[in-house]
Amino acid sequence: MTRILPKNRLDDCIAAWRSAGFSVLAPVRRSDLSRFEEVERSEDMALDLVLTERTIKDHFFPQTEPLIKYSIKKHDIDTQEMVPPERKRVFFGVRPCDASGLAIDDPLFGWDYRDEYWFKRRDNAVIVTIACTTSDDFCMCSSVNLSPDSTKGSDVMLRPLQNGSGWQVEALSDRGNALLGPISSILKEGSDATASTASVPVRFDVDKVMAWLADPASFESHFWKEISVRCIGCGSCTFLCPTCHCFDIQDEGDTYTGIRRKNWDSCSFPMFTMHTSGHNPRNTQSTRWRQRIMHKFNYYRGKFGVNSCSGCGRCTRQCPVDMGITETLQAITNLTK
Amino acid sequence: MGIQEQYRSEAAGLLSSGAVKLVIGFGEGSTVERRRPVFVRTPAETERLVLDGGCVANLSTYLLTEGLLSDGKSVAVFLKPDGIRSINILAAEAQLNPEQVVIFGFDIEEGQVRALEGRKASDFAPVIGVAKAAGLSAELQKEAELLDQISAAERFEYWKDQFSKCIKCYACRQVCPMCYCRRCIVDVNQPQWVNTSSHTLGNFEWNIVRAFHLAGRCVACGGCDRSCPVNIPLRLINHRMAKEVLDAFDYYAGECAEQKPVLATFRQDDPETFIL
Ligand code: SF4
Ligand code: SF4
Ligand code: SF4
Ligand code: SF4
Repeated sequence: MTRILPKNRLDDCIAAWRSAGFSVLAPVRRSDLSRFEEVERSEDMALDLVLTERTIKDHFFPQTEPLIKYSIKKHDIDTQEMVPPERKRVFFGVRPCDASGLAIDDPLFGWDYRDEYWFKRRDNAVIVTIACTTSDDFCMCSSVNLSPDSTKGSDVMLRPLQNGSGWQVEALSDRGNALLGPISSILKEGSDATASTASVPVRFDVDKVMAWLADPASFESHFWKEISVRCIGCGSCTFLCPTCHCFDIQDEGDTYTGIRRKNWDSCSFPMFTMHTSGHNPRNTQSTRWRQRIMHKFNYYRGKFGVNSCSGCGRCTRQCPVDMGITETLQAITNLTK
Repeated sequence: MGIQEQYRSEAAGLLSSGAVKLVIGFGEGSTVERRRPVFVRTPAETERLVLDGGCVANLSTYLLTEGLLSDGKSVAVFLKPDGIRSINILAAEAQLNPEQVVIFGFDIEEGQVRALEGRKASDFAPVIGVAKAAGLSAELQKEAELLDQISAAERFEYWKDQFSKCIKCYACRQVCPMCYCRRCIVDVNQPQWVNTSSHTLGNFEWNIVRAFHLAGRCVACGGCDRSCPVNIPLRLINHRMAKEVLDAFDYYAGECAEQKPVLATFRQDDPETFIL
């Protein structure tokens, strides 16, 4: 016997969490875009999507975020931090790759100092993940040692029942356990079978990829030029990625008052590495593409012991010129056959 | 011999005689439906070239890759009429020498590919004349009219909602053959003229700047619209701009390499309806 959340009690579930002080965010499709937004009713949720186009990262590390307000009067400088308020949030219907993405980024934001802007949100969020029963041509979680039902980064795991009537519920953390409190009367005991998870083929050999990238000779390989020739250098693969985390600090305002903001930045952009002198150490798209791959499957692992990719496939799914990371990693796998 | 085979063998001929150093065409993509840009340098590689109804991208963007044409050698490229119009504009704006561009022209009608006669941009003047006479896309016009019917305030809300989705990934700019500035105004940062923040105001700034810079230059290839990862209907902005210059100045972007840029020229008889 396990606990079951019946689908027809989802609205009661949302109401219970809301009255316990949580905002409930779930996949919605609005203005021709799928993303996580606050919902009040289950009918607004788009739970049948393979994956939302935007990631839940947006709600922890927004594309633009105020850091401090400043004002300067004669010899006085007044600064005021703009740390986000503590807000209890449930993310319902997250996919395992997006949940993993948060866990992959945690060490980065807590490494040399604790980034309060990230952790205020992380510490107050409960991630309720639904295991995937469908996938598409671009999903690749199984290639990066994850799977359609991996629990990394999740507080509660829901596994769809075969008969479609609800989900089997498993709490994975204290936060997850606590979240089940307000809905304990909604959950029921049951032994219904769970649906089989999506079968996602392994698309490359991540160990071979890591070994090749770690070889110093690979850095100057002609391979980078060949693979990146059609990349137009937009930022969409990085901006839609659940683990990409680079940002730029910008002041907006005038000499006397303004706001300092943290804005997404991308290693695909030439400006990312442009020096004040005008020299650019990564002055071609091939060197920028190499950086993206090296960072994800070599440097990040070196520093934090984990690859910076959760296999969501978005970078390939939406690339305007049909590039993305999968094919590069397949090509590297084949290089080392 | 189908058009794909015919163009493959002609491309192989051009490469083996040295008439062109590179052929930019389409190849198979990561799924059955997808087509992607391919770069062919040897006759043997022309086998990779594919031409079918999925080949919709405007590949002229790649001709402006830094240094590609600076050795004076020629490059062949697969282009639909919209792409050929891009070549004319780029020539008119002194961004390339059209003599260096060999065109494998084609058009897609109801999913079927049809060859277009000619090899140089100027050979396709009749095709572009026909396109101009046919007028702007009726389909887009219909979509645009839906927006014209609502009030200005509602229209503003519509665009606010759409632009609020923008993440400033600049895919629309990068894919566009007309967006060739080596340093886009939004990347000029000493000082930072345009905020980099992608809040709604910043997104308005970006999309309005881009619309103005594309007025009378956009060839409606749809590249930006297809590339936008958050599905902003950029086609409607482009269409509106194209309609304005057509109605006001009888201007259809990219008619020929000698056409003067609409916003950089004037005629004595230009309408002055907007001047009080
Ligand atoms: S790989 Fe694709 S999405 Fe990424 S920068 Fe290049 S063109 Fe843009
Ligand atoms: S690199 Fe690509 S597949 Fe990996 S997490 Fe990022 S967007 Fe997803
Ligand atoms: S603005 Fe868009 S539709 Fe117009 S030429 Fe550029 S990419 Fe094509
Ligand atoms: S492609 Fe779309 S999201 Fe990206 S900058 Fe252009 S309008 Fe914004």
